[in-house]
Amino acid sequence: MLQEFNYAGPATRAELHELLSRHGKEAKLLAGGTDLVVNLRAGTAKPILVIDVKKVAEFRGISFNEKEGLVIRPSVTINELLANKVVNERFPLLAECGHDLASYQIRNRATVIGNVVNASPCSDMAPALLCLGAKAVISSKRGEREIPFSQFFKGVKKTVLAEDELLERIVVPAASSGARGSYSKLKRIAGHDLGIVGVALMKKDGQIKLGISSSAPTPVLVEGLREGDDEAKVVAAARAAISPISDVRCSKEYREFMVEVFVKRLLKEVK
Amino acid sequence: MRIKLTVNGRAYEREVQPHLTLLRFLREDLGLTGTKEGCGAGECGACTVILDGRSVNSCMVLAAEVDGSSVETIEGEAKAGKLSTIQEAFDRHHAVQCGFCTSGMVMSVRDLLVRNPKPDVEEIKEGIEGNFCRCTGYQQIIEAVLDASGQAVGEGRLEIAAATKGGRDHA
Amino acid sequence: MLEDIDPGKLGKVGTSARRVEVTPKLTGEGIYASDMVLPGMLWAQVKKSPHARAKILGIDTKKAEALPGVRAVLVGDELDYKLGLYVVDKDILAKGEVRHYGEAVAAVAADTQEIAKAAVDLIEVRYEVLTPVLNHMDALKSDAPLVHPNLGNYDYVPVFSPQKGTNIPNLSKVRKGDVEKGFAESEWVVEREYTNPSVQHVPMETHVALVQWKAGDEIDIWTSAQSPFTVRNLFCYTFKLPLNKVRVVVPFVGGGFGGKAGIHLEPLVACLSRKAGGRPVKLQATREEEFSLLPCRSALTYRIKTGVAADGKILAQELTMFWDAGAYADYAVNVTRASSYSGAGPYDIPNVKLDSYTIYTNKPWGTAYRGFGHVEFFWGLERHLELVAKVIGMDPLQFRLKNLLRPGSLTITGEVITDHSGDPTQCLEAAAKAINYGRLTKEEEERERRTGRKIGKGIATLHKAPAMPSFTATAAVVKMNSDGSVIVNVALTEIGQGSATAVQQIASERLRFPLSKVKVTIEKDTDKEPYDWQTVASKGIILTGNATALACDDLLAKAYSDAAQALRCQTVDLDHDGEKIFIKHRRDQSVSFAQLSVGYAFPNGNAIGGPLIGVGRYVAQGLTNLDKETGQGLPALDWTFGAHGVIVEVDAETGEYKVIKVASVFDVGKVINPEIVRGQAIGGMIQGLGTATCEGYIYDQQGHLLNPSFTDNKIPTAKDLPEEIESIAVETAQVDGPFGARGVGEHPMISVAPALGNAILDATGAELTHMPIRFEDVWRALRKKEPIDNWITKTPSGSCRSDPASRLHSPDRAVQP
Repeated sequence: MLQEFNYAGPATRAELHELLSRHGKEAKLLAGGTDLVVNLRAGTAKPILVIDVKKVAEFRGISFNEKEGLVIRPSVTINELLANKVVNERFPLLAECGHDLASYQIRNRATVIGNVVNASPCSDMAPALLCLGAKAVISSKRGEREIPFSQFFKGVKKTVLAEDELLERIVVPAASSGARGSYSKLKRIAGHDLGIVGVALMKKDGQIKLGISSSAPTPVLVEGLREGDDEAKVVAAARAAISPISDVRCSKEYREFMVEVFVKRLLKEVK
Repeated sequence: MRIKLTVNGRAYEREVQPHLTLLRFLREDLGLTGTKEGCGAGECGACTVILDGRSVNSCMVLAAEVDGSSVETIEGEAKAGKLSTIQEAFDRHHAVQCGFCTSGMVMSVRDLLVRNPKPDVEEIKEGIEGNFCRCTGYQQIIEAVLDASGQAVGEGRLEIAAATKGGRDHA
Repeated sequence: MLEDIDPGKLGKVGTSARRVEVTPKLTGEGIYASDMVLPGMLWAQVKKSPHARAKILGIDTKKAEALPGVRAVLVGDELDYKLGLYVVDKDILAKGEVRHYGEAVAAVAADTQEIAKAAVDLIEVRYEVLTPVLNHMDALKSDAPLVHPNLGNYDYVPVFSPQKGTNIPNLSKVRKGDVEKGFAESEWVVEREYTNPSVQHVPMETHVALVQWKAGDEIDIWTSAQSPFTVRNLFCYTFKLPLNKVRVVVPFVGGGFGGKAGIHLEPLVACLSRKAGGRPVKLQATREEEFSLLPCRSALTYRIKTGVAADGKILAQELTMFWDAGAYADYAVNVTRASSYSGAGPYDIPNVKLDSYTIYTNKPWGTAYRGFGHVEFFWGLERHLELVAKVIGMDPLQFRLKNLLRPGSLTITGEVITDHSGDPTQCLEAAAKAINYGRLTKEEEERERRTGRKIGKGIATLHKAPAMPSFTATAAVVKMNSDGSVIVNVALTEIGQGSATAVQQIASERLRFPLSKVKVTIEKDTDKEPYDWQTVASKGIILTGNATALACDDLLAKAYSDAAQALRCQTVDLDHDGEKIFIKHRRDQSVSFAQLSVGYAFPNGNAIGGPLIGVGRYVAQGLTNLDKETGQGLPALDWTFGAHGVIVEVDAETGEYKVIKVASVFDVGKVINPEIVRGQAIGGMIQGLGTATCEGYIYDQQGHLLNPSFTDNKIPTAKDLPEEIESIAVETAQVDGPFGARGVGEHPMISVAPALGNAILDATGAELTHMPIRFEDVWRALRKKEPIDNWITKTPSGSCRSDPASRLHSPDRAVQP
């Protein structure tokens, strides 16, 4: 069972900011719950207060405008993302990364924002967001700030978020619209599993970008590659960016090997 | 805190502690023990219910979050004691062995068929991926879903070969 | 029994009758032990050891006891009882030392789950951490710490051989013929070692027990268990109580697979109830506790040395099994023993030396698991036969066919195989045929070209007899209701395998009643059901099936006797249908079963007869004890033979693979219910695929279990199915089985792993000697293909070649030594 805590379901953005400002240190934000509730049960999270983001109306929905781009808000679940027309038409790499994330029931609750603030090195969504040049819009009572996702992750399960902040919006720039890409995820079974390694490869405007998960303390972005670069160069860049470990799931050597295999396959597969 | 919700079409109002999961609430507070706990960590799907029209692992949802919501559990599947199409298909196709995964499995199948009335085999596997079954090996469940959705079930049957009267010589 | 009835005359047996208990499972109305609550019930939680081996220096429970709502706190020192099915080596709570990660050291019963958990957190245990012995091969060394220094003083069942002063609670032996002579006569001698780790049963319902220890030592136990009488009997043995003081009730069971075959949480929960003044107490294991507090399946290292004649006939097998049984002997000593008399496989081998060691280590212990050792050792055995075939240059299928048991063969314990034992040859040939073994079809060749991946095919045989005492018995009671319907009471427990439906079909067939008139009890109650040994070993269909048929015969005999009085005739004049008993030559003169059911009343009011209750009992016939030195004897109620054929597609660069097809064949004697047999065949095969591909306990150097949850202990999902599954049953009638049937509950899981390993070998030349076979394992095996010369300990004096027609299928794909 879960340990005991207090629950708050603020109805407005301001109320939520206020709660975070006062209790941020001993509070945890609740979106889909598929990470938090697991941690509450395991005792690895011991908040005094759990703050539910889902009752705030402004925190719902995906929207797109040509100026900003795609905006994903805190309550947006993975399945909601996968079903979204604009996502599928303009930013299919997001759907590629999301469709094999956990199981269908989990995807009905797990949120895109939740997946990245958790900052697990295995995050499936982070590779897409990194490749697409997405930005994290962070807010608190003190105001708003925006940073690119390439600077959002600080270490294993650590982000730049301060105790009183929340990731309020993910913004995928309109300029990334139409990027082609695909995500290869190594799993131990064909059924739902977290990624043993994950490689997203994106091609847009002659550029190639890689987003790699489960191969370093954080998800990593590899930039500076161009279509037409030879395979060895792309592979070398990927190799240089990763620092996998051996754990119960996989050895370091096989992770390195499979990252290379995935990069080569995706180079051919993504047209 | 106080929550108001409907479960299988019936209205309930209850006082709940924040840390109580929807799974425990259904089982312990409402006595609806059809929904089972298999792992408590969102992996096995034994606790699957339909929350506001979406299949979820109820062990991952707090009761506090479902104020104002509508929940469907296995207890709502049969109507007035009559098994639903899905339940009858499970029966016909021997898609139930120990039965512990069955509640969650039927809920996932119900949800799948609402979204996709005629899923193919791959779509069915995708739809029940989040529901572990240790007994059946899934094949007869897949056949039940094909049947329940009015599709042809295919060749799968036990082939019974007549004995060739004892062992043979392979000198 | 009844095996020679023309199948055309059977109406219920042989049909896919609906499962009798399916409706409450479908509606959620079925109550499992984990759903039960009783008035005044307390919730229990357990304090578990974080260490694999440690002295307990002290346990402070004062704060826990002081917490409001806590009704009982227990530690090991308060409980002076010993547990153990075969070797009595276990305390209810750890006393003085802990022997494995996750072992229970204290327990609490409280008003709510939350209070119980808080109380457990307040219990302070001081440990002196010791170096654990984790590898079973290390545990055999003379300087290894002893997990049970007192082994020499433990009570034990005499059929086992604990080795005092060691980490060996049992050593079982088989000696047939003269292996040294056999090796001397062999053209080739091939030796290799195979391993597999512990795995968990993963029943969807974890272990749970609800116990009330009432005044006067009247005890009620509700438990998710496979064997209510074993729970009762072991419980009473432990607490020195007469059997009729304890009642064990088993409601619906959410899976067992052997993990619930014995006694587990019940004694601890009972002690909590007693300490809490007799209030009912419930303990439900979390999934994490299921992986560490509750037992698993022993790990195994299997060393096999095979001597083969020039023509491919196996002359000698020297087999050594090293079972890593963890901290307690539990069922593991019997798994060791059962594997010993089966460990050479379904082959005719004149000279065998088999030694099977149970070894203690500081890890969660191994209990019964579907297959009872056979899934573990067939991995090595069938992988080894593949190696031997390769070494001698013979096609693996032909090599096996040449050596399979056939009528007239002697097993390694000296049992004679007859033409109704079952047909391993037909099973293997059917499996090979179903996958087009030995060649690729046009579609498969095209698929290889298209994908760049390699397709390989592998086969493996299997066999198992029930591992049970020679005197295993059971009974059935059939009671008639006043409307002529019947209720059948058997203690064989429905755990999902379909036993209740099989019993219904057999009863219905024998009585000639429609299925709707036959009810089989699902909830088992030791006060109401007649004795059954255990729901294990795939012996249910024979023993309980026979007892049921006999009970029906008994009921009919009594009904006929009453009817003869009612109709004023002799019983020989009578026949019956589903409704009534009638005079054969005057059919209009009849009496209904309903009229006889609880006593027959004549028109004038006189009454004869009484309630109609049929009783049947059946005990295993003709089984003998095994000689302790040679293992010779007759242990097998029956043998179920089978085989799997696997087609796999492998990426020879990365080791990624996909199972394209599994074809499984079992000689079940008589298919009582085709869809239920198919459900066992597929369910067991998928569980076998799980153990083959992704399951296994992983420990660190200190003995901590690193994967105690589904996050890293994966089991197959619906997406892990092979692209194609074929299930085939052969019917070589078991003369002493009901309608010719024999069991198949465990067998589908056996030999899936080596069939897969052999298929991967065929595709890529990768030699796997360890389970599970993960992609990374295939990758490593691909990179480090070890030459087979390392395992040949005798150079052939001449060249050994079989008939060219039975060579390895395509010379260019044969693996070069």
